[in-house]
Amino acid sequence: MASAMQQHRGGTQPYRGGSGYVARSSSSGLYDVLELILDKGLVIDVFVRVSLIGIEILTIDARIVIASVDTYLRFAEAVNRLDLMSTETQGLPELMDGITEGGASSKTKGALQGAREALFGDDEDEDEDSGSSSRRKSSSSSKSTRRRSSSSRKKS
Amino acid sequence: MPRRGANTASYVYGVLRTPARGKGKGIDGRPLRVVSANGIAALASDVPEGPLEAGRDELLTHARVLERALEGGAVLPMQFGVVLPDDDAIRAELLAAHREQLEAQLDEMEGKVEMNVKALYSEETVLREVLEESREIAGLRAAIQDQPEDATYYERIRLGELIAGAMAAKREEDEQMVISYLAPHAVAIQAGAPIHERMVANVSLLLESDREGPFEDALEELGAEQHPRIAFKLTGPLPPHSFVELSVGA
Repeated sequence: MASAMQQHRGGTQPYRGGSGYVARSSSSGLYDVLELILDKGLVIDVFVRVSLIGIEILTIDARIVIASVDTYLRFAEAVNRLDLMSTETQGLPELMDGITEGGASSKTKGALQGAREALFGDDEDEDEDSGSSSRRKSSSSSKSTRRRSSSSRKKS
Repeated sequence: MPRRGANTASYVYGVLRTPARGKGKGIDGRPLRVVSANGIAALASDVPEGPLEAGRDELLTHARVLERALEGGAVLPMQFGVVLPDDDAIRAELLAAHREQLEAQLDEMEGKVEMNVKALYSEETVLREVLEESREIAGLRAAIQDQPEDATYYERIRLGELIAGAMAAKREEDEQMVISYLAPHAVAIQAGAPIHERMVANVSLLLESDREGPFEDALEELGAEQHPRIAFKLTGPLPPHSFVELSVGA
């Protein structure tokens, strides 16, 4: 646990006072304000809001994502990987890195570890599996999920 | 590309009081301007008529223009994508038509900022909790643990579904915990929808500017207390996106 903290503090993210348990969003963080900009704020009339191009890439309905076969399979995989004998919290440094500075954290992670941490980072860090999995949110039919799951599980 | 007449429209970032500062650049690098009417004003810039590109640059510009404006006093942020035909329409349809509501909210938001707190479970910790607390989940896990994946496809979906359900229940409790911990520092609180499968809370708080320090200390305390179970991320100060509203037809 101590080592987790050191790693966390050793990151590049500056902290304003405190002991450094809370990550601060950097000024270029788009995902951190995205839903506020798109869903909150004043609107005069629905017809005045112009049609937006390219927005579907960015809006993510988390309720759909969470209740998807894809997510279920990833949870199952993650819980199966857990070593019940171990009491270490190995995932944490990566999590903290991911939450702090999305792009900086591309260590080897499981699919679940990396999944959508891009959301928490401060740029559209579409590397590896995280980008593709967050973009695939609308294709949560069991067919495509199954295809993906059987092909991506070959290694085990 | 023609820039005059019917080909441009007026993009609106937010509403503030005059005299207002409208320096800098807006979407597409077009200069910002202040469109005022009797003491209140809109921050605006030209955009081409028609559909608006909602890419990373445009969204970030919208956010940054408002954050910069906030440094000079209260600003009521518009949602991204509000475009009127021209500046006369801004004066008539926005400023004049909603004057009372806008003035009241500018008064209310003076000296206040929005802070957004996102809290995320550590996956391993929360999965361990779920396993410990549910015999059904632990049992199902044990039953399929050593079987080939292809043979347990539906069992694994079921297992994941149970986990997601258990996490949702946990999430509700923990979200409430986060809210009650931070509430004493806030004037108002808005709990938003989670945008991540392990998100515990996605909460916006309206603070008096001079409460920022104590609020951040409290959040640090909570972060230390919940470490390593829950990780926190703080964004702000922001203009009060979550705390402004115009009732249509009023």
